[in-house]
Amino acid sequence: MRVWPSLFLTLLFASLGLALLRLEAQAQGDGPGVGNQTCLNCHSDPALSFTLENGDVLPLFIDAQVYNSSVHGAAGYACVQCHTNLSDYPHPTFRAEDRRDLSVQLYAACQRCHPGEYELTLDSAHDRARAQGIGEAAICTDCHGAHNTRQLTDAQSGELLPDSRTWIPQTCSQCHSVIYEKYLTSVHGSALLGEGNTDVPTCIDCHGVHSIEDPRTSAFRLSSPTLCADCHSDSELMAKYGLSTDVLETYVADFHGTTVTLFEKLSPDAETNKPVCFDCHGVHDIKRTDDPEKGLQVRENLLARCQICHPDATASFPDAWLSHYVPSAEKHPIVFAVDTFYKFFIPLVLGGMGLLVVLDLSWRLRRRFVARRNGHLLYESHARSASTGATGPTPTLSNDPGEDANGDPSRGAHHRQEQSDPDE
Amino acid sequence: MAILQEGLIIDRSSPIQMNSVTHEVKLGKPQIYRRFDRSQRIEHALFLAAFTILAITGLAQKFATSPGGEFLIRLMGGIEGTRIIHRATAVVLMAIGIYHVLSLLYRVIVRRISLSMLPVMEDLEHLFRDVFFYLGLRNSRARYGRYSYVEKAEYWALVWGTIIMAITGFMMWNPISSARFLPGEAIPAAKAAHGGEALLAASAIILWHFYHVHIRHLNLSMFTGRLTRQEMEHEHPAELEDIDAGRVDPEPAPEVIRRRKAIYIPIAVVLSFVLGFGLFGFVTFEQTAIKTVPPGESVTAYLPLTPTPGPTLLPSPTAGDSQEISWAGRYEGLFRDRCSTCHGSTTVGGLSLASYEQALAGGNSGPALVPGDPEASLLVRVQAAGNHPGQLTPDELEAVITWIEAGASEH
Repeated sequence: MRVWPSLFLTLLFASLGLALLRLEAQAQGDGPGVGNQTCLNCHSDPALSFTLENGDVLPLFIDAQVYNSSVHGAAGYACVQCHTNLSDYPHPTFRAEDRRDLSVQLYAACQRCHPGEYELTLDSAHDRARAQGIGEAAICTDCHGAHNTRQLTDAQSGELLPDSRTWIPQTCSQCHSVIYEKYLTSVHGSALLGEGNTDVPTCIDCHGVHSIEDPRTSAFRLSSPTLCADCHSDSELMAKYGLSTDVLETYVADFHGTTVTLFEKLSPDAETNKPVCFDCHGVHDIKRTDDPEKGLQVRENLLARCQICHPDATASFPDAWLSHYVPSAEKHPIVFAVDTFYKFFIPLVLGGMGLLVVLDLSWRLRRRFVARRNGHLLYESHARSASTGATGPTPTLSNDPGEDANGDPSRGAHHRQEQSDPDE
Repeated sequence: MAILQEGLIIDRSSPIQMNSVTHEVKLGKPQIYRRFDRSQRIEHALFLAAFTILAITGLAQKFATSPGGEFLIRLMGGIEGTRIIHRATAVVLMAIGIYHVLSLLYRVIVRRISLSMLPVMEDLEHLFRDVFFYLGLRNSRARYGRYSYVEKAEYWALVWGTIIMAITGFMMWNPISSARFLPGEAIPAAKAAHGGEALLAASAIILWHFYHVHIRHLNLSMFTGRLTRQEMEHEHPAELEDIDAGRVDPEPAPEVIRRRKAIYIPIAVVLSFVLGFGLFGFVTFEQTAIKTVPPGESVTAYLPLTPTPGPTLLPSPTAGDSQEISWAGRYEGLFRDRCSTCHGSTTVGGLSLASYEQALAGGNSGPALVPGDPEASLLVRVQAAGNHPGQLTPDELEAVITWIEAGASEH
């Protein structure tokens, strides 16, 4: 009877020891207990499959070459590092309603190694949609894949690899195919996917990565001009394409842009009826400004844009908008003339007034100084002024020391307080 | 001075001589002079309030993106709130302007006062005289009448400024209607003029008005309505001289006033209707823009390319074909997967397939890889025999043989 407890303890210690050894081995980076080959012994069979509850057949074949060329495979990660519950055979029972349910159950593995990115997704439009019961909303593996996850950024710099930039729109297009088609026709999309130009924005440059915002909110709308300006104020980048970097500044200087800028600063969630960049230039189908169909350099196109918000606008109305130009003699002579006029007129008028004020003030100060030095008491001179005043108008006020009294505002006030306050 | 008593006030148009106890009054001169009547003072107070509000709300908008402008706009509840205050106050100011025109007409038609605010050549002479005096070239200052050039400059600047502000304000308030009659560019030009004029007006008030009315000598006649004789002596000596000499606008007889009112009232009624209607039109002329901007784009956001989004993009058995067929491109990985337990991590039979060189070198039995010669490659021979731990599939073995025949390229 004494044998059982000691046997039990021995077994317990032995299993604990084994577990510790295994943990230690993992911590030292020696790799997990089960090598990928073990898994592939079965899973390299293309016929291997599993039937889900809804009757769908889930292939369980893993192409080792595909996995090995993925970012995880190339770094030597083992199957069981994601599929942590599958180290033993037979595998524990697995239940999934359908393919989507399966993905949703399994993608939880991603956050073990990528908790930062996972946290960001919790803030995204996709996660909110899922919370509202839209099961199709994207999860990690929808964009990144599971066994074929790509290396997207340069390991050293963290910058997107050029290849990734073309890959991104195609990834998003899996669900957002209509938008992708529009993007392909835009000045940005056609440059990226037509010419392989990686200077242009892809989806994530505007929408963000992981914490992808709902672009229909007021906050997104109000902040969008600075989004566009990230590139369009970059003089080096814009010089490459001969584009103006004044676009944001001229927008903000105008009625529309001033309003939007202040709304963004003071009430970022409020709605405004003033347009932002994309209201005029388009959203996913942004065209060159000289595009004959949509380009805003074409007068008819611009007027049509104005009329969306200003239905009564007539042909000359679009000129009320300076088209992102800083007023100059060539581009906007009337505005330039008015600006120039006030640039000279204001200093001229104020300068003339200032000169007279300075002359008058210096004369008054000089007189007061002289009066002080001569020992005149201001009260005395004031009284004398009153008495001389009583004899009638004095022809030469300048010789009247009483001027000093008037030169001093506090004296004036004092003088007033002395009066009785007769009603009219 | 404290002995001034009630009843010593004099209207500039009707000097009243009092017999009182003060020695000044004994000389027959009144001590207090009415300068502005009550309606003028109320008008001034209202205008002052409207102008100040307009200047603050307007300059805040002109410099909206500066920290000061932003602070003021925040204080006024945002840019739309600021605009509403600005526009409402502009209406008040224009109403004051209309009242001013009507009351001016009353003074001209009914009371027939002398038009002392009109600029005359003498004002220019006064200006030059004062400048010469400041420079020490004259020994006395100019003697001003009821309104000095300082006051006339301010009054006419204000009249001119108000007209400019009303016209340019109308254009900004009603840009679509304005663009029907004017080139579209006139609207941003109006904005530039409105802003320039505002800056000029506010600065001039601070520099010119504050100096002459508050700093040089605190003249409160716009609030009290009166000036003392001493103040009159200093600021309006020529006017005082006229009053003393009895050269003042005579007060018309009551029946004359009645007769003139019969002319004035119809004119005033018509004019108030016309101007009032104009003001109403100013505000309601057009609806410039729709209230809610339509979405920038209406597009089907979710239209997946496959019925259910391919969650894990399960690779097809042929997916690897696109990979470059070389040691580095394909077989290094394949051998690591299948063979490395024995021939990589460990070197069973002396063979490691961890690197291309080690594969060429082979193990105890000979080279695993002989480029160009699958028959001589032990790897092929062992695999072809079958039942090797880590057995390649027939397809894989076939591919390996092809690769070796082609020279077993490393890259």
